[in-house]
Amino acid sequence: MIRSKWFGPLIVIFLVLFILPLFIPRFYTYILALIYVTSLLAMSLNLVVGHGGMFQFHHGVFYGVGAYTIGLILKKTSLPMWIGFIAGPIMAALVGLLIGWFCVRLTRLYFGMLQISLGSLIWAIVFRWYSFTGGDDGIPGIPIPPVISPLKNSYYFILVILVICLIIMYLILKSPFGNTLQAIRDNPQRCEAIGINVRRHQLTAIVIATFFAGIAGVLFVVLERSVFTELLFWVLSLEIFIMCLLGGWFTFAGPILGAAIMVALRTFVGIYTEYWTLILGILLILLIFFLPEGVMGYFQEIFRPRTKGVVEKG
Amino acid sequence: MILFVVCGGLSFVLGVLRVPNIAHGSLYMIGAFATFTLAKLIGGSAGFWIALIVAPLLVALISLIAERGLFCHLYQREHLMLLLFTFAISLILGDLVKIVWGAEYRSVSPPALLKGSLSILGASLPRYNLFLIVIGPLVAIALWLFTNKTKIGKISRAAAVDREMVGVLGINVSWVFAIAFVIGCYLAGVGGALVAPTASIIIGMDHSLIIEAFLIVTIGGLGNMWGALVGSLIFGVTQSLGVLIWPQFAIVFPYVAVVIVLLLRPKGLLKSVW
Amino acid sequence: MLQVEAVHKSFDDFKAVNGANLTVGKGEVVAVIGPNGAGKTTLFNLITGQIRRDKGKIIFKGEEISGLPPYEICKKGIARSFQIVNIFPRLTVFRNVQVAVLSQQRRSNSLFRPAKNMVVEETNNILESVGLLNKGHHIAGSLSHGDQKILEIAIALGNEPELLILDEPTAGMSPEETSATMELIKRLAQMRGLTILFCEHDMDVVFSIAQSIMVMHQGRTLIQGKPEEVRNNPFVQEAYLGVE
Repeated sequence: MIRSKWFGPLIVIFLVLFILPLFIPRFYTYILALIYVTSLLAMSLNLVVGHGGMFQFHHGVFYGVGAYTIGLILKKTSLPMWIGFIAGPIMAALVGLLIGWFCVRLTRLYFGMLQISLGSLIWAIVFRWYSFTGGDDGIPGIPIPPVISPLKNSYYFILVILVICLIIMYLILKSPFGNTLQAIRDNPQRCEAIGINVRRHQLTAIVIATFFAGIAGVLFVVLERSVFTELLFWVLSLEIFIMCLLGGWFTFAGPILGAAIMVALRTFVGIYTEYWTLILGILLILLIFFLPEGVMGYFQEIFRPRTKGVVEKG
Repeated sequence: MILFVVCGGLSFVLGVLRVPNIAHGSLYMIGAFATFTLAKLIGGSAGFWIALIVAPLLVALISLIAERGLFCHLYQREHLMLLLFTFAISLILGDLVKIVWGAEYRSVSPPALLKGSLSILGASLPRYNLFLIVIGPLVAIALWLFTNKTKIGKISRAAAVDREMVGVLGINVSWVFAIAFVIGCYLAGVGGALVAPTASIIIGMDHSLIIEAFLIVTIGGLGNMWGALVGSLIFGVTQSLGVLIWPQFAIVFPYVAVVIVLLLRPKGLLKSVW
Repeated sequence: MLQVEAVHKSFDDFKAVNGANLTVGKGEVVAVIGPNGAGKTTLFNLITGQIRRDKGKIIFKGEEISGLPPYEICKKGIARSFQIVNIFPRLTVFRNVQVAVLSQQRRSNSLFRPAKNMVVEETNNILESVGLLNKGHHIAGSLSHGDQKILEIAIALGNEPELLILDEPTAGMSPEETSATMELIKRLAQMRGLTILFCEHDMDVVFSIAQSIMVMHQGRTLIQGKPEEVRNNPFVQEAYLGVE
């Protein structure tokens, strides 16, 4: 990987992002941090959707669980911060294991519907449990330890964690596990015939993905200091799905691009008009008609050499 | 019952086009808002009845435009794309509603005929609810008649099972889809019109409805209209049960029911068209 | 090596397999023939675990495998190719076979080492033995039909099977491709000591390389025996060969 031609430019980008907060207004730092959190979430979804071929329709649940876990721990108990950081992703992965275990027995659409129903159940419970979770008000004012509570510090914290997670995800996708996952995406029946326990493999992928979603949830709390039930509502899940689509779900970094575009659009279009969902809807339609492989997929197509038998680079 | 009308339409579209129509919720919302405006314009009791007829037609018109203009070009694509398209439409329609009607909530009062309550078996039931209980099965019967007795209905059913064959038979499959889609959306509009007098008409209606509608359609069996009826009943009953037993968590009850059904019978209770 | 005893399978009311028997000895090349709808592919699906039998027994190397899921059966030493090409279209030819080899070596779950450099030699060996080594970096979906069918076989070989089951391996191939493929199969069987079970419609192919032929008709086994016996059997001639 060190020898990959992307290594140099990536280091440069990382350094630029690192020193950026010193030069740009607070607001942009905040937006960038938000983009990082959302990118991590979108990347985690793409592990199972783009690379695993599963209809993970309610990924937001795991994000919300991670966020609520750390939110509740920090607000209601006096446990140290790092326990919250670890508990969040673990809870998310446990919920992922539970929900995933039921879902992998089904195919495609039924997988998705069961997940939506289980996720909505969790949403409904959290929504109404005022005494414990704050109900539809959410939990505002979560105390974040002073070392990462100023915006700049949380920015760096989030950026570093994001990069670590991305590196891990990259390694996983390039490993035999990742290759096999992609094979399952393309042809689960054939995989069964060559000795792969497809369900177990898919479940493992789900647990990994939900773990990362939990990390994203924790980072969200670090940034926003509060938790909302919207995180668990299916609309967010669908938005994450769209981010993957927008960026290109068969590519590695596509979801990052998708997340960046969505967050940027929502923020900047939102300044001019309240009707940014309208713009999003139109954008989506354009995407469906003209760019079905997503933005990144489109660029990859342009730059791929057009030889007779399409050849893949490494 | 209202849920059934809406879900019946969703199920129908699902069965014929094999596409879960996320915009169904938005169309429902438009139906409600349109009813509000029409009722206000025309005034009085007659306003409601007229709105009940016209609003769904308006909704149907919108859906026709969306379908002919854009949707029909996508039929060859994967279902996921179609689903995302309906989501995009729902986003657009949702904001259009905000633009046209503003963000405050509205209400419509029931027409004079249906105001107040009737006393039946010692319990006092709102007349409007009785009206709904009557309308529900009427719609069900109408739908059943349509799909089983009329030519178009039968063709739709055939297209649901095997669209290529229907095409080979010389029937314009595209138009069949268009008609099916419009009818399904019409029902969404009817549902919206019917719900107008009973609940506050607000912006988030589409989101809360569509999730419930989807779950109902799934537990009933995708594409199966009787399934939609069964599903709506289960949903409604468990919700009422919830209100009686544990009001704070009333909305949790239907979700639990859905989860139980899906765990036991993932393809839904009744046979699905897929 | 493989024993199928009185196996039945119905789908709703349709009896797809209605009492099939099959014996495959170690190192043999056995063919199953029968008209379309006789139940050959269903039988293969039953053996490899894609579907479950209603009645009867399937025994492999002395062990009953009747109820096991496909991936377990594969691990016991049976690999198959499919009638309708069933490869991984978006992956390269190399990765198609590599996935199978990794699975065989139980390394599919390895999480953190790059797969690019794993089992390269074994994968290339297989590709070379089927003649696809030079196309290793092509996307599988872009290969010609004949090459895709060969890739099918290569993927199955990745599992280092003892019994290789081929479902109509030459379907849709031109005569040159067909004889080349059959030569390949014969060579592979000898080189790797494979036992081969296949089904085919092309009678020349069948009679040229099979040592034992089982004839199916309407889900039942009519007869199994050496090519001469089968060719001269009156029932077979009436039901099948006569119609040809």
